Amino acid sequence: MLKIQSEVNHKTIKEALRIRKVEEKFLELFSLGKLNGTVHTCVGQEFSAIAFAGQLKKKDFIFSNHRCHGHYIAFTGDVRGLLAELLGKATGTCGGIGSSQHLCHNNFYSNGIQGGIVPVAAGYALGNKLKDNGAIGVVFIGDGTLGEGALYETMNIISKWEIPLMIVCENNFYAQSTPQNVNLAGDINARAEAFGIKAFKGDTWDPSLLMSKAQEAINYVREESKPAFFLVETYRLNAHSKGDDDRDEEEVNNYKDKDFLNVFRKESPSYYQIYNDAIDVEINDFVEQIMREHETDFNDYHENNQTVSSNEWQPVESISKRQVELLNEFFKDKIANDERTVFIGEDILSPYGGAFKVAKDLSFIKPDRVFSTPISEAAISGISNGLALNGFKPFAEIMFGDFITLAFDQIVNHASKFHHMFNKKVNCPVVIRTPMGARRGYGPTHSQTLDKFLIGIDNVKTLSLNTLLDPKIVYEQVFKEEHPVLVLENKVDYGKKIAQNIPANFKCEKNADEYPVVRIKPAVSEPTLTIVAWGGMSEFVISCLESIFLETDLKPELIVPILISDLPVDLVLSSVEETGRLVIIEEGSQYGGIGGELLASLAEKSEVAFKVKRIAAHPVPIPAVKSLENIVIPDKIRIIKEIKESFI
Amino acid sequence: MALVQEIAVPLIAVNDTTLTIVEMNFSSGQQVRKGDTVITFETSKTTYAVEAEAEGYIEYLCELNKDYEVNDIVVKIFSSVEEVKTTPTKKASINGSAAKKQVAAAKTERQWSGETVFSHKALELIEQKQLNKEVFHGYDFVGKDDVNIYLGLPIETKQVKQKGLAKAHDNQPKVIAVDTAKAAQQKLSSNKKREISYLSDVQAPGLTSTLYTAVEVDNIFVNLNQSLKTLKNSLLPIVIYETGRLLKKYPSLNGYFAGDSIAIFNDVKVGFAIDIEKGLKVLGLEQTNKLTVPEIEERILSLSNDYIDDKLKIEDLSDITFTITDLSGLDVTFFKPLVNMQNSAILGIGAIDTKLQRCTLALTFDHRVTEGKLVGEFLTELKKRIESYRPKGIVPKNVTCFKCLKDLAEDTSGIGFVKCITPQGEEAYICQSCIAGF
Repeated sequence: MLKIQSEVNHKTIKEALRIRKVEEKFLELFSLGKLNGTVHTCVGQEFSAIAFAGQLKKKDFIFSNHRCHGHYIAFTGDVRGLLAELLGKATGTCGGIGSSQHLCHNNFYSNGIQGGIVPVAAGYALGNKLKDNGAIGVVFIGDGTLGEGALYETMNIISKWEIPLMIVCENNFYAQSTPQNVNLAGDINARAEAFGIKAFKGDTWDPSLLMSKAQEAINYVREESKPAFFLVETYRLNAHSKGDDDRDEEEVNNYKDKDFLNVFRKESPSYYQIYNDAIDVEINDFVEQIMREHETDFNDYHENNQTVSSNEWQPVESISKRQVELLNEFFKDKIANDERTVFIGEDILSPYGGAFKVAKDLSFIKPDRVFSTPISEAAISGISNGLALNGFKPFAEIMFGDFITLAFDQIVNHASKFHHMFNKKVNCPVVIRTPMGARRGYGPTHSQTLDKFLIGIDNVKTLSLNTLLDPKIVYEQVFKEEHPVLVLENKVDYGKKIAQNIPANFKCEKNADEYPVVRIKPAVSEPTLTIVAWGGMSEFVISCLESIFLETDLKPELIVPILISDLPVDLVLSSVEETGRLVIIEEGSQYGGIGGELLASLAEKSEVAFKVKRIAAHPVPIPAVKSLENIVIPDKIRIIKEIKESFI
Repeated sequence: MALVQEIAVPLIAVNDTTLTIVEMNFSSGQQVRKGDTVITFETSKTTYAVEAEAEGYIEYLCELNKDYEVNDIVVKIFSSVEEVKTTPTKKASINGSAAKKQVAAAKTERQWSGETVFSHKALELIEQKQLNKEVFHGYDFVGKDDVNIYLGLPIETKQVKQKGLAKAHDNQPKVIAVDTAKAAQQKLSSNKKREISYLSDVQAPGLTSTLYTAVEVDNIFVNLNQSLKTLKNSLLPIVIYETGRLLKKYPSLNGYFAGDSIAIFNDVKVGFAIDIEKGLKVLGLEQTNKLTVPEIEERILSLSNDYIDDKLKIEDLSDITFTITDLSGLDVTFFKPLVNMQNSAILGIGAIDTKLQRCTLALTFDHRVTEGKLVGEFLTELKKRIESYRPKGIVPKNVTCFKCLKDLAEDTSGIGFVKCITPQGEEAYICQSCIAGF
């Protein structure tokens, strides 16, 4: 073992020791109650961090996981920022918001969701490839993450698309407290090889060999512009987090004896002492300074902006083109003229052009910006998130709205959270589009409107496109957004022309909001019934307006919001205060629905009583058979009947 | 071309800074004649109607059932129809507590140049009234209420039942369309509406019954008139007197049905119905069971004067525990009175049949509170008590002073007549005044 000193240079040893000392400091501070939450240390695994994160170039990037301190220090060198972050101070790398698991600094990102970070890293790497900047990326996973599906969706894609990303799997033989033999089947590297990804292997007990193999793998990824998989065998000498260690003590002690830094300490005590003392001084000085600092002010973290709807109205102009043509025109224009635009989704290559033809001809115009994916919604949305972080404007298409549940983790735990949890250092202007809605006979898993699950996602705008506004204008605004947007389109609406079906004697107006609210009301007389509907349901309700008047004697005003994640409560309220009657018609089912949210907001603001009716889909999967589909989704007969029963 | 009259919201009671418009008897643009009631306001206590001072064309600047502040101009009357509709409708006062924000009244500007769409209900009404649809030219949509407004009929569907804000008229009767070709239609006054709602409360469930008894009254005024100053030959004071006392013995007639219980009043406050061109009102006599007959007479007179002079106080009209309605002034001998809201019974006094010398008392009662046997006992006892005022012994018939033609019943001296021989030598009677002078 004496050969160690000659083969591993002391700079590397110092770096590893520094990581270890910082983490030991965290454990000490944790014991003193100075850390809020918990820490996951990589004591024993430090050379993995140094071999990969330490050998990347500045322009490269890292995505890491919950056990990320070593990777962070090795890549950024920012010990102070990390200490301050975990101590919850404003000078922390993410202002104390993210703490141990959620770090972001100079192309370094980490997130506490297992596996979800992998497609994001792939998207980021794809962005580098599109920029042709020679940068590559490393994403660190643990052996526990091998159970996550998003990982395999991504391995398939990075191999197929030759994305320069290296997946480093740090195999410490335990998933939290569970030994690997309980949960893991098959061979780890064989997984990567099955996808055609070149697999490497090393361990932290021979840092020198690991460093050189890591360099070899990095060079491969960079030079070949291909992905790689690197399995690093290692052992974590401390618990998974704090106090959750049931491993055999003898086993742990064996690894402690084997640990390189412990061997070095035994073999070169004087060097070890010098390095140890210097690092102690450095860390203690930092901690002393940091402890005196202040924490992030809530107002710097979150500003409560109340939106006020415009009350200026102008006539809606009808367009004699189908919605899908206009959508296609918009994307053709963007894909041709804006380098940032990426279109990604299943089956979107031309001549097919996607299930609903929104992507028609896009891949002919710019093949390198249009990505037809395997059936991998988590990867599609994750890759889009990564592209968005890397400065692109990705438009991800989920073929049917029902499938958006498969992308939900990427929306809720990644796109939604990045900006704030990284203390506003990054934006994630991803756009995810998907068609929802019934009346096409596609049955239970291809017809449901799931909008109610998508309106309460922080920092995500959710639009429900309608046939009253030019989608090109709507998408121009979406294009400018700096944060995630979900656009729910409607299968039936694709074939409809814009504002062409306004019934006689009604006027159709829009306000001046960024996402205009449309209202359709009697041309001159005062309405006596307020209706709110959105998305595909708005087009349907428009076709019922005249019948509603004829049969109920009530003069309806229909209000159609498009930004359903921030409903125009004040506009609805001022209408309801005049009519005294409100009916909310939604295509999703009622319980926990958008109508309930609107009513709660109205109730908070209103000083008058009014009568209310919600009409929604019955709470069963949408049947394929037409007669039943028409009953489950609110139809004209039910709408009129319910209005009569509620208000007459 | 001139503004003939402006009507502002009047200050009627100090506490009422806003008044509700409860009646608009015309619609804007219609011609009114001098003396026509054009608008009625409602305060917390009373209603107040305003008449047109001159002939002209009316313009309403207000909406029905909304609140307006005192001094707001709500009606204008112009000399020519062209001047009407020059000013926009005033928005209801938002300070009004009751109907802070009710639905907008159906006000359809005639600005639409396209075709008019009629609702099914509107078409039914138009057909029923045999209206020409052309009269709605310029409307975009015509609902039933637009037709109602055109016809000057009450709006039906506009009022949304507002929980907590609704007025206490829950039993609104179903409106039945009137064929104006066959019948002239007169709007119900707010007084009449109130009367209906008062009487509906007990009568509507249909569980009332009426018992009748005949009271022998021959020569009764011989005695009674001696204790009455003004209300000679009236049974009302003595009936109130005896009823007041009897009600303490029959408490269920001094209460009312309260849903799942029966409420019995602690005090007795008998009211008497009055209707002399100021609307039917019931005026109450506080602590009736403790008043003497002269006190009762005095209260009846002073309350009636206050009624005529509009000086009634709220306590004169409220908390009446039992009602008596006296139609003996008319030639009505037999009728069935209707029980008032928050009463369990009402007593009716019919006219005296002069041939039979009897008068019918009718008692309608709420069967949910009491029952026939008990009410029969009450009525029998009342009858006996009243009859006890008749003179004891035999009173000869046709005893008339031959000099002044006053009959014995009209005599107030308390002495009686003297049998005498007239200068013509006939046997006759002479009264105290004629024999001894005043």
